[in-house]
Amino acid sequence: MDFTSLVFYLFSAILVVAGLRVVTARNPVHSALALVLAFFTGACLWMLLEAEFLAITLVLVYVGAVMVLFLFVVMMLDINIEEMRRGFWDYLPLAALVAVLMAIEMITVLAGERFGLAPPSPKPADYSNTRELGLLIYTDYVYAFELAAVILLVAIVAAIALTLRRRPGRKSVDPAEQVKVRRADRVRLVSLKPQKAEAREEEA
Amino acid sequence: MLENYFPVLLFILVGLAIGVIPMLAGWLLAPSRPDSEKLSPYECGFEAFEDARMKFDVRYYLVAILFILFDLEIAFLFPWAVVLGEIGLFGFVSMVIFLAILVVGFAYEWMKGALEWE
Amino acid sequence: MPDLLPALPEIFVLTLACAVLLVEAYTKNGYWSYALTQLTLLGAAVLTVFTTSADTVYAFNGLFVDDLMGDVLKLMTYLAAIVSVVYSRTYLTDRGMFRGEYFALLLFAVLGMMVMISAAHFLSLYLGLELLSLSLYAMVALQRDSKVATEAAMKYFVLGALASGLLLYGMSLIYGLTGSLHLAEVAATVDFRNQTVLAFGLVFLLAGLGFKLGAAPFHMWVPDIYHGAPTAVTLFLGSVPKLAAFAFVMRLLVDGLHPAVGDWQQMLAVMAVVSLVVGNLAAIVQTNIKRMLAYSTIAHMGFLLLGVLSGSYAGYSAAMFYVVTYVLMSLGAFGMVVYLSRGGFEAERVDDFRGLNATHPWLAAVMAMMMLSMAGLPPFLGFYAKLTVLQALVGAGWLWLAVVAVLMSLIGAYYYLRVVKVMYFDAPHAEPLVPATAAGDVRALLSLNGAAVLLLGILPQPLITLCAYAIQASFR
Repeated sequence: MDFTSLVFYLFSAILVVAGLRVVTARNPVHSALALVLAFFTGACLWMLLEAEFLAITLVLVYVGAVMVLFLFVVMMLDINIEEMRRGFWDYLPLAALVAVLMAIEMITVLAGERFGLAPPSPKPADYSNTRELGLLIYTDYVYAFELAAVILLVAIVAAIALTLRRRPGRKSVDPAEQVKVRRADRVRLVSLKPQKAEAREEEA
Repeated sequence: MLENYFPVLLFILVGLAIGVIPMLAGWLLAPSRPDSEKLSPYECGFEAFEDARMKFDVRYYLVAILFILFDLEIAFLFPWAVVLGEIGLFGFVSMVIFLAILVVGFAYEWMKGALEWE
Repeated sequence: MPDLLPALPEIFVLTLACAVLLVEAYTKNGYWSYALTQLTLLGAAVLTVFTTSADTVYAFNGLFVDDLMGDVLKLMTYLAAIVSVVYSRTYLTDRGMFRGEYFALLLFAVLGMMVMISAAHFLSLYLGLELLSLSLYAMVALQRDSKVATEAAMKYFVLGALASGLLLYGMSLIYGLTGSLHLAEVAATVDFRNQTVLAFGLVFLLAGLGFKLGAAPFHMWVPDIYHGAPTAVTLFLGSVPKLAAFAFVMRLLVDGLHPAVGDWQQMLAVMAVVSLVVGNLAAIVQTNIKRMLAYSTIAHMGFLLLGVLSGSYAGYSAAMFYVVTYVLMSLGAFGMVVYLSRGGFEAERVDDFRGLNATHPWLAAVMAMMMLSMAGLPPFLGFYAKLTVLQALVGAGWLWLAVVAVLMSLIGAYYYLRVVKVMYFDAPHAEPLVPATAAGDVRALLSLNGAAVLLLGILPQPLITLCAYAIQASFR
């Protein structure tokens, strides 16, 4: 076994353990952190496949941003862990069945000599994955690229339409309004005639 | 191919060492005499009132998701920057349109007040 | 520089959908967005008519295809979207959903359908589907204070994501097998060197398709989402996207995987039979009309699959005719449910329609026409739709499937006729059902909808010919 396969098996083992921790951890925050580890080792595996750009993107976007969102959601929901985990192991037989089926499937599919395609030729050391992607995305795949922007736009609209709400009766102050205020808006000078003492007592 | 990553490995090792060594040093060198009072949680001298894990406002979520969307947008800028010289005006314009679509989203969220923190 | 002309309707819809968003953010007045949305859909229809031709044109490096089937389906999509927007206006106003976001999301959903309809590449198929689904998830959840709507959106989202995953997995297996994502190249290079991979890829693709179509055994989400979503959204998502779903099936299976026709025919046959049985039997016991129509959708999707699986031009054009017919009928049926709901009250139980004939004979007549047409009784349009599918099936030698379909349609007629019976023969409620509005355009359009189902049923030939011609021109 050469060094590359050794590294591959090391990362794969970490990935599997991290994946197991995601589903079995008692604390959802621990699950989320295990998922970070899984993403990270996944990125390392992609590095081994010479997909550098995707690996970096995985770390930047998933570990950097998506997981933060996951943690927010976990903290927002205030999950009752005991209740959530009740009956967790009841699903084991079904889950095991699905897992075994998936495994058999993967084996049948992957055992078939790389789908009958020629293996990719090794790339020279100065080969840049990012560059190759860039040459394709913005020219040949411009249609898919612009569609990606539209999907992001829909996500923005959906996120705002579903979560933004104005709370009535909030007491925050608008700084712009504060700066614009003039003396005349706040203080009004009124000239009152001096009143006599008896008159005040009668009023009282 | 893996040799190319030797500097990265070195970087990771040094980074790990810098993080781990002070913790180890603290653990080894500092005196440690715990008792139950020292280890119990406290809140400014009072007994703890409630669980420290409180609910987050949904507003954080909105900010986070908007961040992710623009983070993804930036991920598309890297390969573009690498090949800008080769893809010509067409590649440039396709990125301009991409950004224009997202600017619509940005204008929308700004006008809606989603960026304000009441 | 790619040829932008074939994609002009898409570009137009995208630009104006962005405009709707900005108008909403600027004016915060739903009427502007409403008007602009109608204008957009009309404009897109005009553009599509003017750029249509019998030739098949590829654009954007083969990611996009403009053919006659696509043009016809796009026109029907605009039409159905316009009708659904008109129907739901009052409903949305009553529930505080008459906002620019609703219309912008609707336009983005329409854009997603257009992308799916003219996709010639796995990537554009998938991106179109995601654009459509994302917009629909948000539309279902738009009524934030309603518990059922939120729950429906959650279920829809989770199951939809699962289905997308299955679909992608299938696509990646096929990609591994052929080394190409272009549907035409996939069809040219797919071979049977590796039969197991092809079969697994197909299974995943069809499972994903089944989810998105709402065909059994992947139908569990349909009743819950149709029931839980605000009725105006149900009206939209229960009718318009079916056209794109049909195009999706055609592109994927006929454009891309026609060499494997023997494999997918059998899988579709199973899905079609299960859909017909589950849909028709489960619909009988429903008391909520939205759930009933949801199960009836499952049965109709079974019929649609029957047309596709015949594997002949006759079958494909029959399926296309069927889907157009179905969209017309479901617009009418859901439109009536929307029309009879008012603020705080949903006319969603079958019982709510009791004695409708006594108070509103014309509305009852339109609803009855929809139900009879869905049941497949002559002289309504639904009869010819079922007939052409059955003819194609028998022509392709699937006699037993035709027999099952007829039997199930007979069972299905029971629950459609029950609605008719309730409207005509039961005593009306003490407080009769009052439509929310006397808006003339909604009434007129509903009448037109009913008239279309009747008149096209008496004279179905032009529509059948159009579908046959479109299919012939697109899949030579």
